[in-house]
Parts: sequence; structure tokens; C-alpha cells
Amino acid sequence: MTHVMISSKRCTGCHMCEYACSAQHEGAYRPSTARLFADVNPTTAEIKGHTCLQTSCAKCQAACPEGAIVTKDITMAIGGEFSAKRNLGDTFQGTVLVVDEATCTGCGECYGVCPTAVIRAHPERNTAVKCDLCLGDPQCIAFCQNPHVLAVDVKADRAGRSASPGGA
Amino acid sequence: MDFYQGRVLRIDLTEGSVAVVPLNMEWARQYIGGKGLLFRYLLNEVPPSAAPLSPDNPLMFFTGPFAGTGVTTCSRLVVGCKSPATGTILDSYVGGSFAPELKFAGYDALILTGTASQPTLVWINDDVVELRQADKYMGMGIAQLEETLRRDLDTNAKFMSNGPAGERLLPWACLSTDQYHKAGRGGAGALMGAKNVKSIAVRGTGSVSVGDAQAFLADLRRIHKDYILTPANLWAHEEGTLALVDMVQVAGAMPTRNWSQGQFEGNDNINSRAYMKVRLKKRACSQCAIGCRNFHVIGDARGEGPEFETVAICGANCGIGDAETLFRFNLACDDLGMDTISTGGVVAQAMDMTERGIHDFGMRFGDAEGYLAAPALIARGDGIGAELALGARELAARYGHPEIAMQVKNLELPGYDPRGTFGMSLAYATADRGGCHQRSYVQADEILGGSLPPDSLDGKAAVNIHWQNFTSVKYTGIWCEFWALELEEMRQLLRHVWDDDFSDDELMRIGERAWNLSRLFNIRQAVEADTVPARLIEPGGAFSSGPSAGRYIGADRFARGLAEYYELRGWDASGTPTEAKLDALGIDARV
Repeated sequence: MTHVMISSKRCTGCHMCEYACSAQHEGAYRPSTARLFADVNPTTAEIKGHTCLQTSCAKCQAACPEGAIVTKDITMAIGGEFSAKRNLGDTFQGTVLVVDEATCTGCGECYGVCPTAVIRAHPERNTAVKCDLCLGDPQCIAFCQNPHVLAVDVKADRAGRSASPGGA
Repeated sequence: MDFYQGRVLRIDLTEGSVAVVPLNMEWARQYIGGKGLLFRYLLNEVPPSAAPLSPDNPLMFFTGPFAGTGVTTCSRLVVGCKSPATGTILDSYVGGSFAPELKFAGYDALILTGTASQPTLVWINDDVVELRQADKYMGMGIAQLEETLRRDLDTNAKFMSNGPAGERLLPWACLSTDQYHKAGRGGAGALMGAKNVKSIAVRGTGSVSVGDAQAFLADLRRIHKDYILTPANLWAHEEGTLALVDMVQVAGAMPTRNWSQGQFEGNDNINSRAYMKVRLKKRACSQCAIGCRNFHVIGDARGEGPEFETVAICGANCGIGDAETLFRFNLACDDLGMDTISTGGVVAQAMDMTERGIHDFGMRFGDAEGYLAAPALIARGDGIGAELALGARELAARYGHPEIAMQVKNLELPGYDPRGTFGMSLAYATADRGGCHQRSYVQADEILGGSLPPDSLDGKAAVNIHWQNFTSVKYTGIWCEFWALELEEMRQLLRHVWDDDFSDDELMRIGERAWNLSRLFNIRQAVEADTVPARLIEPGGAFSSGPSAGRYIGADRFARGLAEYYELRGWDASGTPTEAKLDALGIDARV
């Protein structure tokens, strides 16, 4: 289990994570395609984070008729200047679910089953898109930089933490 | 073109027609965006001596090149027109998330012209632009309006809206977005009301390109770490503008009881420490890593604010030394869509007029009941509100006491009393949009940590000019006050936008160019002379107690300072830019 979380309590609602996510994956800033998002009610300041829980949820993977959502091992390096998770060390092992776009038919079976609504149709390509933790260097965490906020952070289980650094 | 969308959305409300036209990229290179680009368009399109609430006065919304990217604080939008309050050029800035959304919809700017024949909702859904009937939304406060529009249109849409004050054309009605974010000063809301537009909704699902995104992200991570998330800026997160309350109080520059004192004895009940006790959380504008906003909860009152200006003008200046009362007043103004500085200024003056026996408005300094009732009365024009809605200057003149009104060019003054910080007298007198504190931060040099003497006008003309040029280029970005960036950081970021490098001199020239455009505009519109209320400079106005007791600038010294200002600006003795100055700046327009 390795995934990103947004703390509703700490989040200021700046959407910087969505900006960074879209720039990383789309090559241009386009938050409407971000693989995570914070629902912000500006009047009440209520904030709800939507992030992929990866292998600890995996409902999309179960729902996919094509087997296009595959488990992948990654090495996380989220040191970052302000990361709250220094105790994880410089690198650690994790797993993510990624969409194999060559196999995905864009049928949409996975969209409805996602409890956080973060696996979505790409607006141009006929395929589903989802969070892949930037394959090890999540830009959402990198850009939640304010040392007093640090609302976007990674969750990793014991196995991930104890894995030897550098391995794949 | 990266960063710019290269498109301006023009809506003719009279004809009900919509057009997308190319952004003038020559002007974009000369003025970057925001303030500069807005001023160039305004100078081009507002006819001389236009009536501010007439269909001839366009309402413009400009972004900067970095809106919709990860550059911290550049989500700001500038709203512009000929000001209904002052008759000057108006550039009013607002954060929140409207500017990035407009960019994602594919537009750098939105220009509304003409007047709609019926209440109208402008709905910009990417490429699809509709003018909808808005009868059902009329009369709604901002909170109810935004909630209803989210339900009716799209939960992700952003709005720029008028409250009841703007519907009734209150000269200091503001435009609101994300509930608490205001294009506050100068009455853009009155113009939108005159155009019969209740709200502009926008949803953008497109992209803003930045060239090599990976390289840009890497550079931004570095810039954020080295230049933004530093102690020089993080005070704005830890406290926000409320940090200024104690500094201005200590300097004896806190407008108190309609500018009759420079310190308020109730300060400790409405300062940063007082509000920190009731802070629920920090909030940020879209694409801002700093996050200066404070969300407070007191009893059943919940929301953002008050900010420093509101504390000064609606708190100390009204003799209100109670955090909850002030907070409720601020929330009321926010929901009605009215600028708190002007509202507080007028209410304080009505209290003063009552106390002095000039006219009984039924409210006195510190009287919570009359104070809390005032915003709704003013916005709706009920009872005393009909008279207060005239504004400070006209209200004072009506009762034969023009000297009591604290305004410059009919803009009620903000929270720095020039008797405690002399340089502000020139700042207020020469500001492009009337009595404004956000064009020259000479008060920062005098009382907010700087080392210039606050009780001298020597050399302050030059200091004001530097600040005005600097903030003008900063507002082209559109960078926020809370990023204390230097020209060097602007250059580093602009290198991603334009292939050729800007020098520091050239950046300052862009600011100076924008400032001179505003002067041309104001001369064309026959704006009144540069001055400040006599009370702030004459010996009779000096305070009898406090740290700034006995100090006065004097009319002669003020006049000399102003003459020096014109001379250093390259303007003639009447304040008109010379041909030589305009040529040197590459300005093709003339008065």
C-alpha cells in the first residue's frame, strides 16, 4: 500500500497539487485532468480531498474487463525540501495501479466504481487516466511546499518502509 | 504562444453578441499583462468624458501570463473601467480562482460593452458563451448566489458577481468571487449593475501551456523554495494582513474615530492576536503556496476576514473595539457586495456627524447596533442608508461640512493616516485611482519595518515614484502583495514567457509606462487635481496626543513635494506628461 492523501484539516484549498499533477502528466497546466483533486467550498471552507488509494482499493482493477489496470512496483523518492515524511528515508518501495493505455479501450467500466472519483476519461485520448504517483516522484507532494501546510502527503505501509532503498 | 491564450472574449450586451478576437501581442510584449495591458485597452476604448455608468464605459477583466500555471500568487485578476466612484482609471485586483478558470476556458481577457436590456447571467462554458435571463438571481447575496449558480450550472464553475449593493448602483459596490474575494475599490460593481449583469460564470477545462513543462516544474520548485517559502513571505501565512494592525497602531497612524486620533484604545481586541484565538483555518487563493487568508468562527458567524484595512477603517475608525461585532460587519459587507473601506469610512463619518451635532444619523462611535444595521441600509437604500449611499464627500457637502470627509478624488481613504506616515500624503494625492494605499508602499519604508523617517517629506517624491513604478510592473504579472519579490524573480519567471530577456531597467520602464498611461487617461477624463484633505496636512489637524502628536506636513511643504513629484516624473507643472517623456517611454498615445 502506497498512496497520496490530502488532509482536509491542513489543506488551504490552493489546488497547487492539481496544477502540478496536470503539468506533469499532460505537459501543460490543465487541472480538469488532474489525477487528484480537492473539493473546496469557498463559503464554508470545507475541503474534501480525492486521491487514489492504489492497491489498497483496486476496485477499478477488479472492474476492468480488459485487464488494462496493472500493478507496478515503484521506488518512491519524495524527500522534498519540506516533506513531513522524512522518517521514510530518501527512497522506499511501493506499488501503484497504472493504466496500460495500449490495452485500455476506454469502455468506462472503472469510472463508476471508483470511490473517490479519480479515475476518469482523458478528454482527448480514448482511455482512462489515473494517478501513478508520478512513478516515484509525486509532483502533488513536491508542490505542497508551504512548511506550515504540507497537506498532501504519502501514506506507506510497514513493508514499504522497511524495503531496502534503491531496489525495484 | 505559451502562457498567453492569445484570445480576448468580447461581449456586446446591447447587441447580445459574442466575439473572440486576438489579443494584441504587440501590447502584450510592451505591457506583459494585468495592469499594463488593461490600461492600454482602456485608454484605447473609453471615450473622453464618458459617463461612468453609461453603455460607453466598458468593463474589462484581464489576467496575467502566469494565471493558470503553478506560479504562486499569479491567480490574481484585474477588473478595470472608468471608475464610477472617482471618474479616474480603475484597476481593482482580486484573488480566488476566477482568473485561472478564465484562462482554462481559453481567454486572457473578457471585455463587456454596452448594456443588457434585462437582468443577465453571462455563462462562459469553455467555447460556449451564453447570455441567460437572471431574474431569479436578482436580490441574492453572494453566498446564496454562488451556491445556487453552482447547482444550476456546474459545481466547478467560478463566478464574478454583484451583490444587492451593485444591483442598486452603489458607487462603491465591489465584485465578488469565491465569496470573500473582492475587486473592492472604485465601484466596478456599480458599473456591472448598470450593465444589468448579475454574475459572470466561467468553467474552463482546457490548458495553459508553458513550453517544456518538466523544465518549468523543476524551475518553479526551486523558485518556490528559494524565493517564496521564506520568512520574508511566510509571515503572510502565519498572520496575514492582521499583522499590520499593531504596527500601524504603534506608529500612531491608525485612523481612529473618523480620523480624529492616531491610536485606538480598543486595538488589542481587534488585532491579530484577538483573531488568532477564533481562527478555524488558513485559506489560500488558487495557485498560491503562501495562503494568507484567515477563516474565523465566532458563535454562529463563520467566514474569512476581516483583513487589516477593514480592522482599521471599520474597526478603529468607527470606535468598534470588539472582534465579533467587526467580524459580523465585515461578513455583511461581503455578502452585500460592498467595499469595506468606503463603507467604514462613510459609517465613521455619519457617527462623527452625529457626535458633533451636524446631523443625527442615530449612530455614534462604538455603537454596535446602528453600526451593524448600516451595511444593509446602505446597500438597499433604506432609511439613513439612502443618504449614506451618497458617499463621504457628497454626504459631508450636503450638510455644509466638506472638511469632515476623508477622501481623495471621492475615494474614501484606507488605513494609514499620513500624520503618522508623511509619505502617504503624496501617495494618496497622486494614486491613479484616487485615495489608495496599494500604489506606493512608502508606509512600509516609514512605519512597517523600514528606516525612513515617518515625519519628513524630504525625498519622498522619489520614493513614491519608485514604488508606483515597481508596483505597476508587479501588477502586470499579476503578482500579489504577499510575495515580496524583486525584479530578479520577475525576470527569472518572464524568461519562460518571452525569448528575449528583460533587464531590470526595462521592467521598471514597463511600470512607468503603465503609470503614464493612467495619467493620460485621467487627464482625458478631466479628473480633479491631486490633493489630500486639509485636515491631514495643516497645523490645525495635528494630533494632541500619541506618538505622532503635534506633527503636521503643512500646505507649503506638501505643495513643494507635489511639484517635486511632477518634475521627477517628467511631467509639467500641471501634472501632464511631456512629449519627451512619452517618447522616451515609447508611448504612442497622446492626451
